[in-house]
Amino acid sequence: RRALGGAAGPPSTRQLREAEEAAPVFQYAGKTARRKDRVFVWGFSHSGALGVPSFVKPDAGWKKPRRIQPTPYRLETEEKISSAACGYGFTLLASNTTDITKVWGMGLNKDSQLGFQRSRRDQTKGYEYVLEPSPIPLPLEKPQQTRVLQVSCGRAHSLILTDSEGVFTMGNNSFGQCGRKVIEDEIYSESHLIHQLKEFDSRVVQVVCGQDHSLFRTKKGAVYACGWGADGQTGLGHYNITSVPTKLRGDIAGVNIIQVSSYGDCCLAVSDEGDVFGWGNSEYLQLASVTETTQVNVPRHLPFKIGKIKEAACGGTGNIVLTEEGNVFVWGYGILGKGPNLIETAVPEMIPPSLFGRSDFNPDIRIAHVRCGLSQFAALTNRGELFVWGKNLRGCLGTGRMEDQYFPWRVTVPGEVVDVACGVDHMVSMVKSFT
Amino acid sequence: LNAAPRRPPRQHVRFLPTPAPGDGGAVELVPTMVPVLADHPLVRGPRFRRLKIGAGHRLDVKASGVFVLGVGHGNKLLTDLYNCHLTKVYTVGGLFGKATEDFSDTGKLIEKTTFDHITREKLERILAVIQGTNHKALLMYSNIDMKTQEAYELAVKGLIRPMEKSPPIITGVRCLQFAPPEFQLEIHCLHETQQYLRKIVHEIGLELKSSAVCTQVRRTRDGVFTLDDALPRTQWDLQSIRDAIRNCRLKVKTEIEKTLG
Repeated sequence: RRALGGAAGPPSTRQLREAEEAAPVFQYAGKTARRKDRVFVWGFSHSGALGVPSFVKPDAGWKKPRRIQPTPYRLETEEKISSAACGYGFTLLASNTTDITKVWGMGLNKDSQLGFQRSRRDQTKGYEYVLEPSPIPLPLEKPQQTRVLQVSCGRAHSLILTDSEGVFTMGNNSFGQCGRKVIEDEIYSESHLIHQLKEFDSRVVQVVCGQDHSLFRTKKGAVYACGWGADGQTGLGHYNITSVPTKLRGDIAGVNIIQVSSYGDCCLAVSDEGDVFGWGNSEYLQLASVTETTQVNVPRHLPFKIGKIKEAACGGTGNIVLTEEGNVFVWGYGILGKGPNLIETAVPEMIPPSLFGRSDFNPDIRIAHVRCGLSQFAALTNRGELFVWGKNLRGCLGTGRMEDQYFPWRVTVPGEVVDVACGVDHMVSMVKSFT
Repeated sequence: LNAAPRRPPRQHVRFLPTPAPGDGGAVELVPTMVPVLADHPLVRGPRFRRLKIGAGHRLDVKASGVFVLGVGHGNKLLTDLYNCHLTKVYTVGGLFGKATEDFSDTGKLIEKTTFDHITREKLERILAVIQGTNHKALLMYSNIDMKTQEAYELAVKGLIRPMEKSPPIITGVRCLQFAPPEFQLEIHCLHETQQYLRKIVHEIGLELKSSAVCTQVRRTRDGVFTLDDALPRTQWDLQSIRDAIRNCRLKVKTEIEKTLG
């Protein structure tokens, strides 16, 4: 009598190999699989600036609102976001699509810096806090052809740059920072007014918001400014308010400027030859290499011998530049990134590249971009890693800890970081997934 | 070993009577150096009956490469070397397209996947991220207060590493060869096990939206000992072992003094 089926015994090598070859093959990603674009946010969330409503108003009654998001959190967006900017408690996201909705805003809206957001409960009133990315309606002449190139946010105003219809400004205008005449006792909350600026010598290619002033850089290399000028940040030779964008002169007259930067009350501009010019507040030794005065109202050339400068970024008290070789120099006041002993310097100091991961193992790591928040710095390497350092105000560094960071520290983001926007207490990054 | 010439036997002073010539009365005691009988080879026997051999960091059955052993008094140096926490370098070979239970190619097959979408850049991107997160873990487990100036200076020089027990940390990864479905990585790591390296290969496969198994793990360096110092099987005899010990002695001493002070 045979046993049922026969004794099996352990499978022989041949049986194993045949079973392997007969196994089905799964495909998780095809050959033409694209890398996905994602947006990650972190920092102080109670103002709604992160765009996740469940942080401020949790869905279940027993959950507590999350005041601070200390590590990167993915923000689901419908469109691919090409440009983002963080203001003081609010965020703007823009996509360069030709659809009707091009810009979304979230966070504080007490001065209509996010435009008019009609409240659903009362159709006559607007929202003071916007908790999730809401579309901002722009008065475009050709809404299905114009593209939004860049956005920028200041303390209570925002600027939106389009490719063919000039610059749109909205928000607080008590110092003329929106480029229109200051109206006495104007109420800025729930205002529908979005101003359009078109009169420049050529097309505007970059807009930058300082705390209460705005800078415009045109294609011809000229810089225009308007807004609050008591620290000389408008660079027009006086300390008064300017309500119409006016061209800057001084050391940058005739120079082809390729980048401007500002976030607080100091401004930096980089020319195509690699020189850097500065004006504005110098109480923290930002411009002390050329002058002893604490307010500089005319652009001055900063004679630094550190090589050709590619990019510059201004923070509230410290400045950072990136040279052509991929090295990073910092100066100013505050946590500059060279340990707790370096608190202030008027001359740029280089941050050792070994802190960004350069070693004998990886000799070709370079910094590709530098960004500044109010008291934080961020650097992006060519491998797509994000390094942050500075004061960790309400968890804005994204390291997961609440302590200040005295030297560059990696932020763990699941993807390759393409761009980052720094604000006072939160940050937004545009990330490409790995595969 | 036992056939080698021994130490000369100890000598000690004995007061031996010498017979005085002539009258047999007065026996003088004369001090003479005589060898101690207890040291005589016929009394003691062979010098070495057993040898104490200790092993350095573990190497499991399926892996190969440099394996450090300590002989006799060298075992004390082994503990010092362990406390130095130096990095080890492995050459890890992998194969895309398969996933098995124990992450190596001899295990039971779980799944087969396609891998034609994998390119060298994608692999290098994943390796860069692995290095990044492990570098962060390196700084965190080293238990230094990040706010001090000395922490900053050590970080600049790249000398921060955990000096106590910690989970496995990879300090560097590099892709040596890439010929799909096969690839080879060089991994520098601390406190790891070979199974952890196989798991890393499996996770790299998962990150690339495919699967991978590990075919080969070979340790090429263990602290100060490299492949050049290692003895292959044909050289496992007394003379080569002696030469190897002599050559490494200086290296080990300088390394221990440098790290442990």
